[in-house]
Amino acid sequence: MTRARTRHGGLVAWAFAAPALLVYFTFLVYPALSSLWFSFTDWDGLSPGYNVVGLQNYASMVDDPVVVRAALNNLIWAVVTVVVPVVLGLVLAVLLNGKVRGKPLLRLVFYTPAVLPLVSVASIWGWLYNPEYGAINAFLRSAGLDGLAQPWLGQDSTALGATMVAAIWLRVGFPMLLYLAALQGINPDLYEAATVDGAGRWQQFWHITMPGLRPAHYVVIALSVIDSFKVFDLIYAMTYGGPGTATQVMGTWMYFNVFQYNQAGYGTAIAVVITVVAIAVSIPYVRSQTREHAA
Amino acid sequence: MTVDRRRFLQLTGGAALATGLAACTGTGGGETASQNAKTLRLFTYEDNATIELLRTQVKTFDAQNGTTTTVDSLPGSGAAVYPDKLRTELLGGKGPDVWRIWGGQIGAPFVKAKQAMDLSAYYSKFGWDAKLNQAAVAGMTFDGVKGGLPFIALGIGGWYRKAAFTKAGISKPPSSYGELEEANAKLVASGVTPLGTGGKYGWHVMRLFEYLLEVSAGPELHDKLLTGDESWDRPEVVTAFTNFKKWQDQKWMPTGAVGLDPADVELWYVQGKSAYTITGPWTEAQGIQSGGKKSADFGVFAFPTGHEPARHSGFVEGYMINAKSGNPDMSAALLDFLIKPETQKALKITASVVAGAEPDQATLPLSYEWAQGPGQQPFYTIQDQAFPKKEADQYFAVQSDVLQGKTNPAQAAKKMQDVVKAWKK
Repeated sequence: MTRARTRHGGLVAWAFAAPALLVYFTFLVYPALSSLWFSFTDWDGLSPGYNVVGLQNYASMVDDPVVVRAALNNLIWAVVTVVVPVVLGLVLAVLLNGKVRGKPLLRLVFYTPAVLPLVSVASIWGWLYNPEYGAINAFLRSAGLDGLAQPWLGQDSTALGATMVAAIWLRVGFPMLLYLAALQGINPDLYEAATVDGAGRWQQFWHITMPGLRPAHYVVIALSVIDSFKVFDLIYAMTYGGPGTATQVMGTWMYFNVFQYNQAGYGTAIAVVITVVAIAVSIPYVRSQTREHAA
Repeated sequence: MTVDRRRFLQLTGGAALATGLAACTGTGGGETASQNAKTLRLFTYEDNATIELLRTQVKTFDAQNGTTTTVDSLPGSGAAVYPDKLRTELLGGKGPDVWRIWGGQIGAPFVKAKQAMDLSAYYSKFGWDAKLNQAAVAGMTFDGVKGGLPFIALGIGGWYRKAAFTKAGISKPPSSYGELEEANAKLVASGVTPLGTGGKYGWHVMRLFEYLLEVSAGPELHDKLLTGDESWDRPEVVTAFTNFKKWQDQKWMPTGAVGLDPADVELWYVQGKSAYTITGPWTEAQGIQSGGKKSADFGVFAFPTGHEPARHSGFVEGYMINAKSGNPDMSAALLDFLIKPETQKALKITASVVAGAEPDQATLPLSYEWAQGPGQQPFYTIQDQAFPKKEADQYFAVQSDVLQGKTNPAQAAKKMQDVVKAWKK
């Protein structure tokens, strides 16, 4: 009787899940498996035919200097565009959580970049960085700092950093908003009690605020890390991977190979590597979330 | 009816597989572009200044033939982006019946992959060979396959603002490379950047380098370099890279030019931010006149090479027909209509390869001047069409390194030889 009910219950559950599974398999699993298959071929991305080349595309990546550069750029990008926005977001959230005049307006100001289309962000910063007429160099020159005026996006030494500044500006609002929400959940009595016990603001921050934000840290950091490994659009729109290949990341290099160089097999091999890395990075986050729900 | 889990999974799994395979068929490009014989789709990259002219002409064609043709455009996308969009459409199985494309190595992959139709039969049917400039036809012929129908052969020259030249004390355009350098020095002294150019996506800064290569190598060697028949590791190439660096060091082009978007920088000469640019006759209608300026305030000159023939950079554009088009005959008829001299004139094509479709002197005086003068000279293939995209990007990377001082001219020549050698292998 119990087994029959369980079996029946299982079928109902599967029936409810079926539409979502269908979509999932059709639009995610199937294309992903197709990509995996193409990564073992020499398909040019246009022709109807191709040859199976085994692991050759993966082996070629080792000898591709742009892949090495792109992987390094991805790593730098991940560290900088995770650490800086998270720290800044936390600082802003703590400041805006206190008694600040014009708090709603300030929240809006800091969060607005996060809702802008990335192409708009790229255009805005492209103009700011314009070496001849951009506001940044104009400001530096007017301040008598001509020597600091640079072709920010036009030289290898500054191009990646310049795009990361735009990314930081764009991404600060997201952790700020999550931390603000999490700060609302910390019992204010704890701060009162700590004040009575003589704890300073710094001690209160480290011993009450930071532990209270632990769940938010998981979400913010994990999502930021995953996001940073998927970087594509900002680089594409601001530098197109240049000058030369100075700002190539794995995502753009994959795109160039698949869509521009007629090397779809090789490009999809790069895509597979990006996916594997993104999955590996997201495992701790998924496990923590699963544990939380199980508890 | 009793359904157990295994049966349920079989059913849902089968449905998922069927849907997946259907999606597979759809994305595999198995469908024809236009199944309806009276429906066509044309994909192009006309900008806002010219797209309505094209739509008007296509409507005329539709009225004459009882067809319905949709015209889609991706304005301002350039050769770095437009082919990607086209490729995605073709792979999605819903590609256009007809598309506009550049010649050389940009159009070649579509013919090689048999996405574009061999038009030889239509060349015979409509007598296109007799109507078109044969050099342009060669630019749309790939490994002996007439994969496209050219309608434009565009030459690249120096388009300048007369006021900037006058202010710098330059009475006439330069007639030798030495005079060009002198003019640059005078322009810098007068407070204006001589050449407005940008290297994002590579190709505009490339226009300067290919000119410098023509100057130092001469026509014959230049052509052999582009085809890989001569080594790039030679003094003429080193000289070209040396001069290239000089242009940056002397501030004859904008600081950090390699990072600037050419779509922005090209119009600096119209806006008064630079003295001249390296571009084609389209700039008269799209840059000068659409900006509310008079053609009389500007001029055009061929960059002096010091060689005979005095060549300039150039490229071909044309149309291709989808090999999977549901209506290739009507698509070919549309192309035949578009290359009629009266259609070309109505489209304000400034560099048509169709006999009898020269630019109108009254409305486009500078384009006419170019067409009657330098436009009559032979051209060397613009370098983003001379090389496949991957090699062209490597080429741009070498140029970028030279401008930044990361690679010296001799090393750059060696690197280019490595790039070309790997390509030819």
